[in-house]
Parts: sequence; C-alpha cells; structure tokens
Amino acid sequence: MSVSSHTDTHSTSVPSASSASTHATGVADSGRWSTRRIAVYALFVALSMAVSFIEFPLIPGVPWLKYDPSGIVCLVAGFAYGPAAAVLVSVLGFVPHVFADPWGSLMAIAVALAMSVPAALVYRRLRTRRGALIGIIAGAVVALVVAIIGNLLVTPIYADMTVEQVAAMIVPALLPFNLAKLAVHGVVTFLIYKPISNLLNR
Amino acid sequence: MTAQPTDDVAVALRGVRFSYGNGATWALDGVDLTVQAGERVYIVGPNGSGKSTLSRIVAGLAAPDAGTVTVLGERVFDGDAGPDPDAYRRARRGIGAVFQNPEDQLVTTVVEDDVAFGPENLGIAHDDIGRRIAEALQAVDMTESRAADPTVMSGGQQQRIAIAGTMAMHPAMVVFDEPTAMLDGAARAEVMAVLDSLQARGVTIVHITHHADETLRADRVIRMESGRIVSEGRPRRDDAARAASADQPHPPADGGDEPQPDSEPIIDVEHVFFTYPGQTSPVIDDLSLNIARGETVALMGHNGAGKTTLARLLCALERPDDGSITVAGVPVALARGGRRTTARERRSGTAGTGHVRKPRMASRTQRRALRRHVGYVMQHPERQLFADTVAQDVAYGPRNQGLPEAAVREHVEWALQLLRIGHLADRSPFALSGGQQRLAAIAGVLACRPDVLIMDEPTAGLDARASARIHDLVRTLRAQGVTVLVITHSAAEAAAIGARIITMGQPPHTQSARTGAEGSGPLGTLDPRVKMVTFLVLMFTAFAISNAWQLGLAAALTAGIIAVGRLNPLRLLTAVRLILGMLVVVGLLNLFFARGGDVLAAWGPLTITTGGVQTAALYTLRFALVIVLGAVMMATTTPTALTDAIGSLLSPLRRFGVHTQEIALVLSLALRFLPTLAREAHAVIDAQSARGGDIETGSPAKRLRALTAIVVPVFAGTLRHADNLALALDARCYEEGAHRTHWRRMRVRRRDLLFVTVAMLYLFALMALQMP
Repeated sequence: MSVSSHTDTHSTSVPSASSASTHATGVADSGRWSTRRIAVYALFVALSMAVSFIEFPLIPGVPWLKYDPSGIVCLVAGFAYGPAAAVLVSVLGFVPHVFADPWGSLMAIAVALAMSVPAALVYRRLRTRRGALIGIIAGAVVALVVAIIGNLLVTPIYADMTVEQVAAMIVPALLPFNLAKLAVHGVVTFLIYKPISNLLNR
Repeated sequence: MTAQPTDDVAVALRGVRFSYGNGATWALDGVDLTVQAGERVYIVGPNGSGKSTLSRIVAGLAAPDAGTVTVLGERVFDGDAGPDPDAYRRARRGIGAVFQNPEDQLVTTVVEDDVAFGPENLGIAHDDIGRRIAEALQAVDMTESRAADPTVMSGGQQQRIAIAGTMAMHPAMVVFDEPTAMLDGAARAEVMAVLDSLQARGVTIVHITHHADETLRADRVIRMESGRIVSEGRPRRDDAARAASADQPHPPADGGDEPQPDSEPIIDVEHVFFTYPGQTSPVIDDLSLNIARGETVALMGHNGAGKTTLARLLCALERPDDGSITVAGVPVALARGGRRTTARERRSGTAGTGHVRKPRMASRTQRRALRRHVGYVMQHPERQLFADTVAQDVAYGPRNQGLPEAAVREHVEWALQLLRIGHLADRSPFALSGGQQRLAAIAGVLACRPDVLIMDEPTAGLDARASARIHDLVRTLRAQGVTVLVITHSAAEAAAIGARIITMGQPPHTQSARTGAEGSGPLGTLDPRVKMVTFLVLMFTAFAISNAWQLGLAAALTAGIIAVGRLNPLRLLTAVRLILGMLVVVGLLNLFFARGGDVLAAWGPLTITTGGVQTAALYTLRFALVIVLGAVMMATTTPTALTDAIGSLLSPLRRFGVHTQEIALVLSLALRFLPTLAREAHAVIDAQSARGGDIETGSPAKRLRALTAIVVPVFAGTLRHADNLALALDARCYEEGAHRTHWRRMRVRRRDLLFVTVAMLYLFALMALQMP
C-alpha cells in the first residue's frame, strides 16, 4: 500500500445533492434531514439488510461460523456520512433479525457499532488513507473486545455453559473467528472505499 | 384541496441556465419556456440535450444557476435573489412528478399506503385521504389492487400506482420524465391512457419522451438540443405516424435469412421447461429451438414471456426443470433420459414429485468453457461497471481468462474500436453519459471474444443515435461470423439488424393481484405497538425456560397464537429456514458441553451424557419457540405497521433531538428496497461471473478483485436508487418537521388488552413453574 497521505477532498459529512453547485431549492434547510439524506440512509440500511442474508462459511471445516458482509456497509456508511450514519445503519440493519434471534442480533448490533463508530470518528478527524487505516484498526480492536465480552454473556443463554467454559473457548474458537471476520471487513472496506468515494463525490 | 389554476400560465422560464460542472459546460443554456395552464406539452431531443434537467426545474425539484423561474404563479427562482424556499414549498404542493424508473418511486409495500403518502405529507385529513385513494386508484384502473404489494407488479402497473400517488395530491400540473422508457408496448398504452384522462381533467402536463408516436397527443412539441430549445410547434403527424408504424411488427427486411441448411446449430434447445420457485405455472413450457452458427436472431414476446429466463438458461445461470440445452458444443443442461413428462403433467403439477430428475448441469470446467464462448449483455449492463477506467473495466473479462498482458491489451483495443469508444479508454466509467456507459459495458463483454453474443434489450432507454450504433455493431459482428441473439420489444429493431424473429410465450395471463394476506386475520388487526412489545417480551422471557413444564406451557401458548391467527404452520417453517442452522449449533453445543447423568457415549474428550441430551433438547426447543414466535410476529405485521410502531415507540426520544419520524421512515424505505437491492446484487454477481469473475476460486488477489468487481457496482446501484428516491420524496412533498397526517391510525382496542392480559397470565404461570 502506498504510504503517501493522499488527501481526500470530500469533506461533506452530510450527503448533498451535488458537490459542485447544489442547485438546492432551499426547501431542505440546514439542521434538518433532507430527503436526500433520508434516501441515502434508507438505501444503506437496505443494503446492509440485503447482504446480511448472504452468509458464507469463513473458516473451512467450521460451517456454522458464518461471515456476513453487512459490517462493510456499516463501515462505508460511517466513512461517507459520519458516525451518526454508522449508528443508524448498524442498528436498523439488524431489525429483521431481532425477531429471529433476539440475543444474537443485539450482540451483532453491538459489534457492528463497536467497529463502525470508532472508525468513523477517527476518519472524520483524519480524512486520508492513513486515517481510514487507523480508523479501521481502532474499530477492529474495539469490536474484537465487544465480540468476546458479548459471547461470554450471550452464549450461556443459548447453551448450558458457564462463563468459564465459554472463556475457555476464546483462544481456540472465538478469537480466530472474530479476527478473521473483522480482517475481511477491514481489508475489503479499505480497498473499495476509494472507488466508492468517487461515486459519492460525483 | 382541489386543483386550482392560479393563473393562465402554469410555467414561465426566462433565460434559464444550469450547469453540472460549475459553468464548464451548460446542461441548459438560456431556455425560455411558457406553458399555459391545461396545456399538454412534450419535450423531445437526444440523450444529454437537457430534457431531464429542464423537467426538474419545471417541477420545482431543482433550482437553476441563472434566469427566472415562475411555476403555478410562484416566483420560485430569481437570478438575483436566488431560490425562494417558501415559494418552492407552495408551488410544489400543486406539482406532481413521475419519473422513468417506476420502482424507485414506490415508498411502501402496500398500494394504498403508497398512494396515501403524498396526501399525508400535505396534511390532508384522514377521511379525505381515504376518498382520494379510492378516486386515484379508480382513475388508473387499479382499484382491485388496493391491498396488493406494488413492488412485485409489472413496470406498467407500478407506473400507474406512481401516477395514482401523484393524482391523490390533486396537482394542477404533472411533469413526466420518460415514464414509458422502461415499458413494453402494452404497458406504454396503459400509461398513455391514464395521461389522456389526466388531460381531460384539465391538468397541465409536461411530458418528456423518446417515443415520437406519443407526441401525437400533444398540444405542442418542444425539441431540445445541447441545452437549448431548437424548435417548437404542433406535433408533426407524419413523423409520429412513421415512428408508430415502425413499431408495428412486420416481416424483416432482406437481411432476415433462414438458417443455412448445412450449418450445424450453435444453440440447441430441446423440450425445455422452467418454473420459478414458488410459482405454479412454468414460464418456459416445452420450448425447443435451433440457432445456426453465424445467425442473427431477435427474440421477441411480451413482458413475462420468458425471454430473459431463456437467456439465463443458455448462460447456465438457471437450471431447467427438464430438457436439454447445448450451446457452442457445451452441454449446458442434459435431460436424464427416462420418461419425458408431458406438458399437461407439468402444468397440473403432478410431475416433478420425485420420479423426474432435473437435467444434469454443466460441470465447472464446462461452464468455464461456456463463458469463453458466450457473451451475455444483461439488461442495463452499465450497472455492472466498476473499474477506475473504461480500459480496466473492459480488460476484466480477458484478464479472468488468464491471457497474457499483451493479448489482454489487444482484446481491449479491439473491443473499444468496435464500439468506437477508443477515446474514452482512460475516462472513469462513472463520469460518462448513460449511452456511453452502455457502450463501455458492452465492450467489456465483447472483449472476451465470444462466438455467441446474447443481448437483453440493449437499446432500452437509448436515443436514436446510440441505438443505431448498437445496430451497426450487430451487423459488424454478423460479418465476423458471431452468432447474435437480441432480446427486443421493437420489430423495427429486429428489422434494422436483419434478424430472424423468434416469438416466445402465450398471451399474457393477467397477473392476479396478490393481496396482503399478512395484514388480515385476527393478529393482523392488533395494534402493532402492543403486538411488537408483547412478542419481544414473550421471546426474551422464553430464554428463561428451564424445565419441561415451562416448555410445555410456552409451546401451548405458541400453538394457541398460531391457531388464533389462523396461520399455516408449514408457511411459518419456510419463513424460518434461514435460522434453522442455528438450532443445530445450539443443540450440538449443549450435547457436548452439558454434563450430568449417565455417560451414553464418549470419543476421546467428547462425552455425551443423559443430562446433556436433556439439556440439548430443552435449549433447542426453547430457542425454536423463540424463532417461531418471531416468525408469527413478522408474518402478521406489514413493514408499514412495523415501522409505524417503531416510530411511535421511539417518539418520546424526540424531545432529546432524535429524528424519530425520519428514523421510522428510513426503516420503512429500507424494508421496501431490501428485495430490490438483493435482486440487483445477484444480477451483478451473475454478470461478473459471466465475465469469469469468481470469488470462490483462485488466488486471494484474484478473489479480492472479483469481490471488488461486485461490491463497487452494488454500491453504485445503491446510490443511484438513493438519488431517484430522494427526488421521488421531494415530488411527494415529504419534508422533515412539516405537519403530516397519518392514513394508518394506531389505536389500542379491547382485543389488544385481551392479548396483553393473556401474555401476563402466561408470564405469571411461567414464574410459578420455576423450580427453585
């Protein structure tokens, strides 16, 4: 990867109709949610829901540990539109799953928030490739901690295991799986964000 | 409110200029336009002439850079003073706008809710909204579909719903931006009939179109070129008539040659059947056809006749129920001998119940060979563009074939030259015009040098010039011996490429309107807020079940709820199949980790005990109950009701500055667009895999490249929908903070209290059964 800090000229954290000249009619005043903002948030949430149903096994031989790419959508939303968008996409994106697997969904929301919000906060301060990288790493570390704590709390609800028994699984199972999952999120987001930000700035 | 012409003049533009690039180029360059109230004005012109931009200014959805704009008596923009938001707001209440893509204008999954959205935003009283829904649906002849889901309807029906949603706002003027561009002939006629009735009611109509025959109904036709009005006048009957006759089917011109008798077929389809999952009648019913090497064929037929399905079958993207398909020597599908089922058996559904095996599909290697021979240009191929430059995008296919770099370059140059877009090689595909994007995407398929090229409506939405270039391309490819199969709605197009015409399908069977069975039934009429909270309480407390008595009680309650709701348990089961894997995991985890009782079996460190079996049963069953309860909740609650409930429950947070109404709208729109995006993601995956992109095999770098080629177009599509949706929300006068009324009213009634009481009694009983 190039280490030269390529500066991202895109500085609006709120989606605007056009980056050059707004051609706004003034109906959507500042401080309000414009229809464009509602539409962009809605479509990102829809995308996060759509890809959360595309699950595929991450580690060969361990078919039940599924990777779902919705975390990438949360990260991209946070980079493009700021921490508030990251929160909205992380939370609303899991709504369809809450009624299927309540505790699992709460944990998934917590992990998505832990990854995308810190990443968005860092990137808001430092809008460069380096900022994106630092943000992703920071988010991944927080998310890893949250994922492990979450498993300690939630797994005993699904299985008759003590917290100690779950803790014994951290190193052989939880850590490698979550690490692999967050690594895929991070690498893919890092690689695709540049072409996608070009689309956002059109 | 009724349509009230504020003046005799509906629109007055003076010296309007509009630039997308800060004045570098002008999309509109000094436009003067006056439209009288009640007039029906058509705006025509080539792609990129500024028609769409003009329509947005007329509709009050965008402000220009210079000039003055007066719409419905409101001076909304003045070059010196800039836009006047209040004037825009007032004007917009009287203006409707309908756009090209009908799907992006639908905001909910129930027809009447969608029609109600505009009136709600205008703050119309509840009873008036009811009247307006009935009136508007009657006007577009969709009264019976009131409770149906518009997102699964045909494009023509969707466009009629969109027009109904506009009419319910009682506009004085409606602006149509190519509303028929995505529709086939029959659907176009439906929409045009609705426009005629609008005109009869005295509504001012501004209509942008590519179809010359539609302008016959105009009071005035305005032609635009390069951002200026170049001519205006009465519709030219001869032009329109010629265009209309060109759309009538007639035998192909001299080029329509029969397949050479001596040439062996390159595409061979034998007795193929195909039914989409969940549908009762096959879309392809005993189809056989032959296409000779080097032939040019036009595949015609109404929407839903199975044309695209056939293309997908030929490309091994779908598996037929029966029959054989051979393409370029590759056995795409091979019927497995045995007794062939008759068409009648297929239709009546007696076949396929076990004694008929599906055809054998091509192996992975054979599919790879197929990809080298067959190029597939899907509908709207420009939606698959992903790379930084056109040249890189076009190189994607050849590179996936593993060609050396020099050969890749040669293929790319050849393809770009063939489409005469060599000068665009280093441009970003996303910075091109729609027509140029289409050509670049087609080049990306051609660069794989296919012997067989399948193109699905390649000229849909293109103007005459861009279409002519694609027709040129087909003729060139024919001269080079490439077999070309073009799916088209236009007989004129088939003639232009000198194709043999194959017509598919029987007359369209009218699609029965799917009524929202979900919203009905005793559970559907519960207040969604009460229902949602109660179900969540039941689901979360089910995790506290720790003995067989409690389990039995919970099972009885769940069974009771299913019985009262008159739900089909089998349908519930299909709804939860995605989560069933979790159940297995939970079961296994408990089986191996829980201890107690006698040891039943042991393999090394793994032991299974009687206690483990009991625990596994308990934990799995209680989780299964949670899943079933959730499925009942989702099956009896429409997305609209769900989001209304969430919005209402969140509303106390409004005093802390949380945009609760908007969050609810975001969620409702997200649920509405979820199937759309899922479908498009699959289309992109198919298209890239047809160009050899595969995430599941190859080196990590190659797989990552394949993933990028999927993710980037998916995001691009997401943003495209967002742009269209934002315009549609504006056109329907949605504005945050503005006073809104609600068509769906939530009220806690006696049955809700009864439901809560039963749930409370159950919870007390659950606690009483808790063992110490």
